Amino acid sequence: MNGPYGQRALIGVSSGTARLMAYSLLAITLMALDHRGRYVDHLRDIATQLVEPLVLLIDLPFQSAERLNEFWTQRVELVDRVRSLEREALARDAALGELADLAAENARLRALIDAAARQPQRALAAELVAIDLDPFAHRIVVKRGSTDGVGIGMPVIDARGVVGQVEQSDRSTARVILLTDPDHALPVQVLPSGERTIAYGSGRVDRLRLNDLPMNTTVKTGDLVVTSGLGGQFPPGLPVGRLFALERPDGEPFARAEVEPLAGMDRNRMVLILQSAPAPESLEAETRPDTPPEGAPAIDNGAQPGEAGENDNDRQPTPAEPLPASAEGLQ
Amino acid sequence: MSRRDDREGMLVVAGSVLAALVLTVVPLPVALEPFRPYWVALVMIYWHLESGRLHGLGPAFALGLVVDVLTGALLGRHALSLVILNFLLRRFRNRIRFFPPWQQALAVGALLLNDRVVHLWVVGLLERSWPGWAFWLPPLVGMALWPWLFLLLDGLRSRRRGGRA
Repeated sequence: MNGPYGQRALIGVSSGTARLMAYSLLAITLMALDHRGRYVDHLRDIATQLVEPLVLLIDLPFQSAERLNEFWTQRVELVDRVRSLEREALARDAALGELADLAAENARLRALIDAAARQPQRALAAELVAIDLDPFAHRIVVKRGSTDGVGIGMPVIDARGVVGQVEQSDRSTARVILLTDPDHALPVQVLPSGERTIAYGSGRVDRLRLNDLPMNTTVKTGDLVVTSGLGGQFPPGLPVGRLFALERPDGEPFARAEVEPLAGMDRNRMVLILQSAPAPESLEAETRPDTPPEGAPAIDNGAQPGEAGENDNDRQPTPAEPLPASAEGLQ
Repeated sequence: MSRRDDREGMLVVAGSVLAALVLTVVPLPVALEPFRPYWVALVMIYWHLESGRLHGLGPAFALGLVVDVLTGALLGRHALSLVILNFLLRRFRNRIRFFPPWQQALAVGALLLNDRVVHLWVVGLLERSWPGWAFWLPPLVGMALWPWLFLLLDGLRSRRRGGRA
């Protein structure tokens, strides 16, 4: 077995060095070509195809083991999830039963005081298709439009709170202005004190501003901020955020507070558009000649927020406005 | 040294090289990944030292290219490393061959370390940063593995031979 080797050894060192040089040069050239110009991509493709069966063969047991493992963990997780969901559904059912009772009671009481019945809300789930890249314009575009009955001014919420409102409605998409847009102002009420004020967008996706609280305000950090229903665009009682910081700057007429929105402004993929919110003027104009629909508020809202506010006064703010059931499931 | 003997010997060589290639790309847990020795080099060193097979620079170059393609490394990197390794082995073969095992392991370790320097040269040219300390682990693992690999391959080879004798 020493035969071939012995012959080679006789050739001598210098030829070996030359061969080393040649092969090294070849290797370095290959590397340079591969690195710089990607000239050998074709070559590499062919070679990769040649060795691919080997790689696949080696990978096969590992792949299948991994898949089996995945399958089992998924199964276990799914069973867990089904159980927890069943428990949750049970709890929800109980709560819903209570709610139905309350709703009936509410209707009776409202009939007694002759107030307009609350409009049932219909929520339309809408998927996000785009966000505005301008950091100071907080807009999102959703995949629902006028063909789905989306109109300008409709409130947009997610499972946790108010997101914004529809600003522009095209055929199949709608642009939504977020609460946090600096151009947006939302009439809100701070619970439990019930103080009404306006929440302005701050331009930061995690902050709203309450700029005109009275100096002697009783709100404190941690308070829940909900929509007040004034202005007619938003139904009252939708959760908006939590009071985050309160300051009373010297020499200023108003106290200022910051609110952290509850809704996942920059984290949502699905939002809900509340459709039967007080209709925009155009729709109202169509319905006005006839007798107002049964569900419509007694006072023409939207146009006269002040009056609408009075209507709202005798209404206890409900912090946990029952969001449509689908809202929970989506998050 | 019959022709048949030669062919069967070749089979063992091919089998061990294939096994080395498989071990090179077999997926390992992330924690063990830096400890993966340079299997192909180890097997090549064995055959070169013990039987004079795989002694040419050409086969080393080709084998290196296969490793490059398999691991997706820069084409020619392992080829260069194996060619240089092979050349050095050729120079010192007669000395290393008759070392006692532990000394042989040291010599193999030194060869692998030098090989790592070659890799370092390539990596240093391409990347902006130097590799971490884990870069130097494979030669040490290879050195520790060498005696066992030596015994294993020796056993395979002699069984082939002994089975027929």
